[in-house]
Amino acid sequence: MEEMSLSGLDNSKLEAIAQEIYADLVEDSCLGFCFEVHRAVKCGYFFLDDTDPESMKDFEIVDQPGLDIFGQVFNQWKSKECVCPNCSRSIAASRFAPHLEKCLGMGRNSSRIANRRIANSNNMNKSESDQEDNDDINDNDWSYGSEKKAKKRKSDKLWYLPFQNPNSPRRSKSLKHKNGELSNSDPFKYNNSTGISYETLGPEELRSLLTTQCGVISEHTKKMCTRSLRCPQHTDEQRRAVRIYFLGSSAVLPEVESSLDNDSFDMTDSQALISRLQWDGSSDLSPSDSGSSKTSENQGWGLGTNSSESRKTKKKKSHLSLVGTASSLGSNKKKKPKPPAPPTPSIYDDIN
Amino acid sequence: VSKMNKDAQMRAAINQKLIETGERERLKELLRAKLIECGWKDQLKAHCKEVIKEKGLEHVTVDDLVAEITPKGRALVPDSVKKELLQRIRTFLAQHASL
Repeated sequence: MEEMSLSGLDNSKLEAIAQEIYADLVEDSCLGFCFEVHRAVKCGYFFLDDTDPESMKDFEIVDQPGLDIFGQVFNQWKSKECVCPNCSRSIAASRFAPHLEKCLGMGRNSSRIANRRIANSNNMNKSESDQEDNDDINDNDWSYGSEKKAKKRKSDKLWYLPFQNPNSPRRSKSLKHKNGELSNSDPFKYNNSTGISYETLGPEELRSLLTTQCGVISEHTKKMCTRSLRCPQHTDEQRRAVRIYFLGSSAVLPEVESSLDNDSFDMTDSQALISRLQWDGSSDLSPSDSGSSKTSENQGWGLGTNSSESRKTKKKKSHLSLVGTASSLGSNKKKKPKPPAPPTPSIYDDIN
Repeated sequence: VSKMNKDAQMRAAINQKLIETGERERLKELLRAKLIECGWKDQLKAHCKEVIKEKGLEHVTVDDLVAEITPKGRALVPDSVKKELLQRIRTFLAQHASL
């Protein structure tokens, strides 16, 4: 019977009933919602999710170009710097890990570098700051973005360019660094045909190398030139600069350098000559005696103090004049072939 | 009078059918989901807060809320939701009227 009555309804009646049902449903929902709210109010959790408008404003979602949703600049980390616990320099956060690897001596090369640095800081206290700069440059070579970094460094350095001493080898090196189209080459490849990486050399090796070879550090490969002392590719000025840089200014004597220019004999020959003659000379001069060691030092270093004693010695031994020139020739290049044991410390003191 | 009575009987029969078939429950659930989805609930909640602050937290009754919220709740239902719901109700009615 009910079904019968339903089917007898016209469309408008059906529509009215549909609307009624809908209104009913909405009302149900509203009622349900009201109960929910009322319960929340009475239980005290209705206002839990809201705070005062001010702090709400603080935590509003920011929608601006260049900012994240918290209103922070999202590449902020780029400017973050960390202080190295070892050398207490501040290093960009992105560079910190490679720096640490080097500074703390964990890598394959780094222990050598660290040792060298320790040796250098002992040897050349005056150029300590230079050393640190140098380290910075070395740092670059570790990084993927060495090119970019170097450019940045370029602009960093420009401001004090006018104030720098043009004769300073350190500066000339940094200049080279700038001008040279830098340098994807890896300075830590040890030996190749074109040069030697000076990073890996100890002070002794450096000295002996500088006495026999040109040694000018290439701006492209950062390696030392291994050609002869008179190699045409580099000027004497460059050679001198390198020697001042590595051995200190006391180690290089300009007049010797020029005498080298005038002398035309081959270096390998002269090398042999020097060592032979010096053995002669040292035996004559009996190096254990402190006075004579001083003499030999004078000759050896070609300092030309012309102390009466040394002049006397020279006159007395005719071949020693040759020793004088030859060994003085060698002196700026070569620290090794000097009279053995006793004088050595004093010479080292001189260098330092 | 007999016509009014017949109308009422018919409505009762339809409601009965809605409940028995479970259609009413399904429709309610559908509406609830739609209203949450379209933000109806959030809007009403904001309105509730005003009402509650006005009356005082301690003195609010369910009747107050229903009186304040229901008209607003009805008005805030989006047309799309209303249409969809009505369509489902009509389909239900058509199915059961043809029986």
